[in-house]
Amino acid sequence: MGGSTTSEESGQTISASEDWVGTARERVRVFAQYDAAFEEEADVVVVGSGPCGAVVTYELAAAGHDVILLEEGPPFTVRDFELDGNLSMTRTMREGGLRMTRGTIMPTMQAIALGGGSLVNSAICVRPPDSVFDRWATGFDLERTDRAHLDPHFDAIAEFLGIAPTPDAVQGRRNLLFRDACDAMGVSSEPIERNVRGCRGSGECFTGCRSRAKQSMDVSYIPAALRAGARVMTSVQVQQIRHSGRRVTGVSGQVIAPFSGGSGGGRSHRFRINAKAVVLAAGCTATPVLLRHSDNLANASGQAGENLQFHPGAAIAGVFPERVDPQFGATQGYQSLAFLDEGFKLESLWAPPPLLSMRFPGFGPELQAHFGELPQMAIWDAIVSANRSVGRVKTRWRSLDPVLHWRIHPEDVAIIRRSLHVLAQLFFAAGASKVLPGVHGIADVMTRVEETQILDSEAVRPENLVIGGNHVFCTTRMHGDPRRGVVDEDGRCHDLENLYIADTGIFPQCPSVNPMFTGMALARRLALVLSERL
Amino acid sequence: MLHRGEASFIVSAAEVLFPGGGALPVAGVDAHLPHYVDRHLAALPRAKRLQIRALFGLFEHLTLLFPGDGPGGRRRFSKLSAAARVSVLSRIEDHQNELVRTLFMALRAVLVLGYLGHPANLNDLGLAPFEIEFAVSDAELLFPRIGGLVSSIGFDESDRTDPVSLGPLDPNGPRHRAYVRSGRDSR
Repeated sequence: MGGSTTSEESGQTISASEDWVGTARERVRVFAQYDAAFEEEADVVVVGSGPCGAVVTYELAAAGHDVILLEEGPPFTVRDFELDGNLSMTRTMREGGLRMTRGTIMPTMQAIALGGGSLVNSAICVRPPDSVFDRWATGFDLERTDRAHLDPHFDAIAEFLGIAPTPDAVQGRRNLLFRDACDAMGVSSEPIERNVRGCRGSGECFTGCRSRAKQSMDVSYIPAALRAGARVMTSVQVQQIRHSGRRVTGVSGQVIAPFSGGSGGGRSHRFRINAKAVVLAAGCTATPVLLRHSDNLANASGQAGENLQFHPGAAIAGVFPERVDPQFGATQGYQSLAFLDEGFKLESLWAPPPLLSMRFPGFGPELQAHFGELPQMAIWDAIVSANRSVGRVKTRWRSLDPVLHWRIHPEDVAIIRRSLHVLAQLFFAAGASKVLPGVHGIADVMTRVEETQILDSEAVRPENLVIGGNHVFCTTRMHGDPRRGVVDEDGRCHDLENLYIADTGIFPQCPSVNPMFTGMALARRLALVLSERL
Repeated sequence: MLHRGEASFIVSAAEVLFPGGGALPVAGVDAHLPHYVDRHLAALPRAKRLQIRALFGLFEHLTLLFPGDGPGGRRRFSKLSAAARVSVLSRIEDHQNELVRTLFMALRAVLVLGYLGHPANLNDLGLAPFEIEFAVSDAELLFPRIGGLVSSIGFDESDRTDPVSLGPLDPNGPRHRAYVRSGRDSR
């Protein structure tokens, strides 16, 4: 064996050898292997192994460049997954999964693991509609960021990861009820396209796929990058981008113990990577902090860390007369894009029950009664294009954890209200006997569709909504005008010749749909451009 | 990690948040919540650990502002009667100030995670995770378990599993043995 092969199943063209595993293992470094300070050289160093960083690493390595991928978290094998949803979050999320925004209080999470968020997300891959790119083009002086230019990148990633609609066999009743509800109300819906091969319907995307059906980066792009010659270093925290004049020269930082919280006693040996180019894919909230800690690099525009946007999401529960058995089924199997023009997207949802039940009202027997209804329950959510709600990322003293200031705009609150009303109507259209809206100050339980009208009214006050936001954008936005954005259309920082950013921070505005796929497409474009420039 | 007073507070809160005789087989006081919270705290970064412990301390003394019904209503929360504890929590839960309500939500959330997440409770609801054989993918071939060396990886290509060939799970199929066993133990 040897040379190049194409896997029929994956469509991935890879360099294979008889012992590719042994060779690839030699290119991996994990926490237990670091015993001294070290310094390495590479063509490119990529900071962050989430979907965007993984794509960049693979594409550059496949093009023959010497690439080092750095990740602060550890790699997780299936035996490292924790079934308890809460304990899983403490291990896979920064700040133990307890990060909150200030201003409007909202939980928001960022993964810390090889593969980043792809390890613990629900694998949703959606291409934004033309209207999103039209908005980006006109508002941000962009000429090549549209579906026509990005579709080849979307297509290549879709083929690589086997992105496909969720099959009916693993939808489970709670996802199919969402479809039936949309049908009953004349609302379009479709099975969600996901980067999954062979989903078994265990409903545990958020705690790690024990079947390894989800094509998270640690089972897809990163192994492919290793086969192509990339090196992967885990448990390393980048603390500085090294630079001289208009060029960066590499990065430096420290080895960090898994689950040590990113600071203090968990840090040990120092490292330095010298490279011809640096690609930051540390995440929308971490990249601006890293820039600030590096002499406020790439910030002549003053836009680094500004323009923070989310897709705030709200969910409600519907109780059906018969068992739904929600444990079985794809975590998120159905969606509706029918309301994108109004500013929201609807989805079916499942997660570990203790996390879902946060929105239930009351305590004591009342709360326990709602727990008892969980087998008859479905949860559906809306994510909102909150373009008007803008915040900023600030730094903390002696910490790389960000401080997130963000406040929801009244017009975006109106969209959330409208989306909750639609969700409640959908539940009754599907035959639910009651709905738990999860909003303080109005009825805890609604039993008739007529009661749901209040959800779309001023009675729902912003402070009474329970919202969360894990899609984060715009903190290093791309803009054709260097005075108004941090990076250009190819992801290169306006201020520097060889510093690139490849995470969702470069989105000029929120994309209205789940962002992973768009981030990966932009990252692939960046990688191909950078490959030509090296 | 928790000191005795904090454990006592947790049990006293659990007793009224999740009383016995409800829809689930395990009552709050029997759900080993101090142990669960202790495990949770141990896994958290220091700053978050301090926040949660501060929350417990705050609630223990919040009776000064939100006294329980009846005589001695300003004593520590954990020293109040069950009825008085219910009255305190009701006032905080329904308070018009968002921040006060958020305190209640936070306390309830910390304890719900351990209570509803108790294996016997989840298993009784039919919501325990499925029993699934561990898969072996590229990740298992290339990376050791957390804390291990690459040389400790025990898999090779012949161990690789293919989820496509396994097909969907049976919705009524067996649940994870730890959850099933815990369900038996609780009865």
